[in-house]
Amino acid sequence: MKKIGKIIATEKVPTTVDEFYFWTDKELIIKPFDVVKVNHIKESITFGVVEEISHLTDNSSSLAGFISSDFGDVNYEYHYTQRIGMNYVKARVVGNSGGIYTPVLDGSFVSLANEDDVKEALGLKDIKNPLPCGYIEMYEQPDSITIPVHFNSHFLIGPEGAHLNISGISGLASKTSYAMFLLKAIQEKYLKGQQEESVAFVILNVKGRDLLAIDEINDELTPEDKEIYNYLGLETSPFKNVKYFYPYSKDLTTSTYGRKGDIESQIELGKAFQYKYIFEDDKESIDLLFSNVDDPNQTMESIVNFIATGQGRFNGITNWNELRNEVYEYTKAGNDREKEITVLSWRKFYRLLNKSIEKTIFSNAINPKAKDKEKRLKESILDIKKNDVFVIDIAKLDEETQGFVFGDVMRSIYELKLGQVDNREESDIPSKIIIFIDELNKYASKEVPKTSPILRQLLDITERGRSLGIILFSAEQFKSSIHDRVKGNCATHAYGRTNAIEVSKPDYQYVPPVYKSMLTRLKQGEYIIQNPIFRSSLNIKFPKPIYKQFKNG
Amino acid sequence: MQNILTLLEEATNGTSHKSFQYCADEELKFPTLNYDSQSFTILKDKYGETDTTLKTTKSLKNFAVKIANQKPLFQFFLDGSRRTYKVDDFELNNRIFPIMAGQIGVACCERQTPSKFHSKELERSLVIVLPTEANPETRNNDLFSNNLKDKINNVERVKKSGLQFSKVLNYSSKVSQEVTDLKYENLGVAAIQDEMVNSEKKIVSNLTTKNLLREDSYLVKDGSLQYKPMKTGDYKELSKIKNNYRWVVGVSKQFNPEFSKGKNNKSNAATLAKLPLYHRTPAYMFQHDREKWSYLGDYTYSVWYVRIREAKYTESPFAGIVKIEKILITENEIENGLESDLVDLISANIINERNPVCYGRDSRWANHLYPVYLTEQFLKSQYLSDIHFLNLF
Repeated sequence: MKKIGKIIATEKVPTTVDEFYFWTDKELIIKPFDVVKVNHIKESITFGVVEEISHLTDNSSSLAGFISSDFGDVNYEYHYTQRIGMNYVKARVVGNSGGIYTPVLDGSFVSLANEDDVKEALGLKDIKNPLPCGYIEMYEQPDSITIPVHFNSHFLIGPEGAHLNISGISGLASKTSYAMFLLKAIQEKYLKGQQEESVAFVILNVKGRDLLAIDEINDELTPEDKEIYNYLGLETSPFKNVKYFYPYSKDLTTSTYGRKGDIESQIELGKAFQYKYIFEDDKESIDLLFSNVDDPNQTMESIVNFIATGQGRFNGITNWNELRNEVYEYTKAGNDREKEITVLSWRKFYRLLNKSIEKTIFSNAINPKAKDKEKRLKESILDIKKNDVFVIDIAKLDEETQGFVFGDVMRSIYELKLGQVDNREESDIPSKIIIFIDELNKYASKEVPKTSPILRQLLDITERGRSLGIILFSAEQFKSSIHDRVKGNCATHAYGRTNAIEVSKPDYQYVPPVYKSMLTRLKQGEYIIQNPIFRSSLNIKFPKPIYKQFKNG
Repeated sequence: MQNILTLLEEATNGTSHKSFQYCADEELKFPTLNYDSQSFTILKDKYGETDTTLKTTKSLKNFAVKIANQKPLFQFFLDGSRRTYKVDDFELNNRIFPIMAGQIGVACCERQTPSKFHSKELERSLVIVLPTEANPETRNNDLFSNNLKDKINNVERVKKSGLQFSKVLNYSSKVSQEVTDLKYENLGVAAIQDEMVNSEKKIVSNLTTKNLLREDSYLVKDGSLQYKPMKTGDYKELSKIKNNYRWVVGVSKQFNPEFSKGKNNKSNAATLAKLPLYHRTPAYMFQHDREKWSYLGDYTYSVWYVRIREAKYTESPFAGIVKIEKILITENEIENGLESDLVDLISANIINERNPVCYGRDSRWANHLYPVYLTEQFLKSQYLSDIHFLNLF
């Protein structure tokens, strides 16, 4: 293999069990995350991943540089001799072929690795339950190599490890695209059906029309893009078994960014529905409307409980309007029927409730004539089938309502997986349900009140979901703002492009400085991923989305 | 267990005093025995170059700029150095002698392109120096030294370290009148120095044999070419090897300005101090002291000075000036001096070698040429550490 340098171990900077340093020619192109191998004792090979590269010369000081230009003549060029210099590379040890972890020795040869070596070094060899997650490119021409990377699906969607968190700034990081790439790969794997387990997907569309045509092919894919899909062993077809759920509105478009024509044709094909919330069935979820309201004395919670159990004047209420009227009654001064809850609290509750249930999705009943078009979301979810992909559009809803829908979706899935549904056989229920939610920071940021029912639900899913088969794929701009227990329970992390302020946060304190600055420069379609089965973080790339893209939202 | 000193005790019938061992060199300074001494005299009736009209100095600035983009004249750079140690005091026939040892290194580096610099030749050797008194017999000194060397190389500790001594040298144990404390030590160091000079000559000879030194690829030797006559060694007769020096220039960083002579054989130190930037002095012709070392034959050379760094930036008016020497080879040269064009070309090339500088790394930065500095660094990197070396004893 091509030798590129030799190990340097000095008194001040010794090689250790964890890392080593070597020199290379100053013109050799190598980059962080490249794998190198070092000849070690007993004919073993130690593998390292490049972390930092510096160029150094024998310039003793900046002043020597100035003097070497004829005492500051900017036009002076070195004609005869260039200053002696080399590149100094720091690498992290990721393994040794003989299991020897003593530090590599001074003067040992460092060389580029071949495909097989790289796989061995990074733990990409013989992966069980392989699931494509991208590819890595290493070195420069003519030595460049490309290697497909696979997750062990047991470490992505359970049972060994579960939950994925993707972070990165909007647009440049393409978080949604990466999540969808993985979801597509999962669906494909399970559709081929070689395993006992089954899977279903619930995807929340939070931005424009992003995910409103995931069963249609992206016509802008070039043959090269398709080649990458083939290379990774994936089909070049979009998602299958997709059902879209749009928030109900009479004219179809008031509460969605979807185009009328598109929605109509989707409804016609029986793959789109409008969802509604009916008081009688959904009153227990009212608490979700108040998840972002600070409620230190839990008065909101008491009121919700009061209503849901039909106490006081709430017995016999059948629709949202009646509810509003009754709540209004409680807000009147001198009303002392319910001493535990003050009038002030009722007034606050009324204000918040009134704002929310104005929305068209809060309806009195499902139109019996439009049963094929209108659904209660909960009912649909409780009826989710294997390999189904539910896309729930919440993009145009206001924040409270978005939270309400998301919370309700999670609750429904939880109920389904806890076996609280009467009319379904255990074997009929998908063994894993994967939820994808972007903008997780709205629901699980550090600022969200501790009493938030959505946060509690999310914590429950990330902490117990693995055993229940509920897997959370989440994305957000700034990982540092996410609740520690939510991100801490994710087995897989994908870091897309982010900004310098973000990488200065404590979340990134164990990330080497070069990787940090790389994070601020990553290209679209490039991620740094961490997964328990990989021996090191990987800088992977993935192809352009396979499903239809809307350029202007 | 036998070590080198006990072995020496046996072989010389002497007694080791197990004295303190130390490095005899001054801190990192490579001592330059003053060759620039009066053993060479200026030839008043001759010029060092063909242009006899040059009386003052000559600016080479424009010429240097003009040739800056051409292939440099100098391709090889030679530097030799040694590190000397006093390893013990030995009692021999009721007299006390220091036992000296040294590491010798001579390197020649080649500059292939501005960014490609690599070692071409490297001579490293370890030597031990004993007084002649150490030989218990009067005859066969060479045989004695050779046998002793083999024995030393067979000492367990030496074998284990994978090192080899290449020679056992001698210094005269004759009682000297000018007794100074370090007298014998100096003699020992001189023997090591001679060995180093021998290595230098050997490398130049090797390069010549390989036909690497040519009209367009000169060698710069660090220091003077004014070799002191030696009594021993394969290259003692300079007249025989002088042809090897056709494409060699000696560049000295340090010189005694007092010895820089003008045509009138008076010191021109003051003129030199005022030498303008990128100017050179006329070349003068020097020769061995004919009476003292007549056996060396005709051995003349041209000497001139070039300022490569402005005096206002350096710590002394002489820092920034290098002394350039070239041995005169042909009859014509010996008669008329070097072609003035060649003197200009060499000078301009030296001027263009002025950058980068080793400022901050070497106190002699103003006089140093970077490729020579690199060669010196390479050589230093090849030395065993003092502790390592002294532990062999």
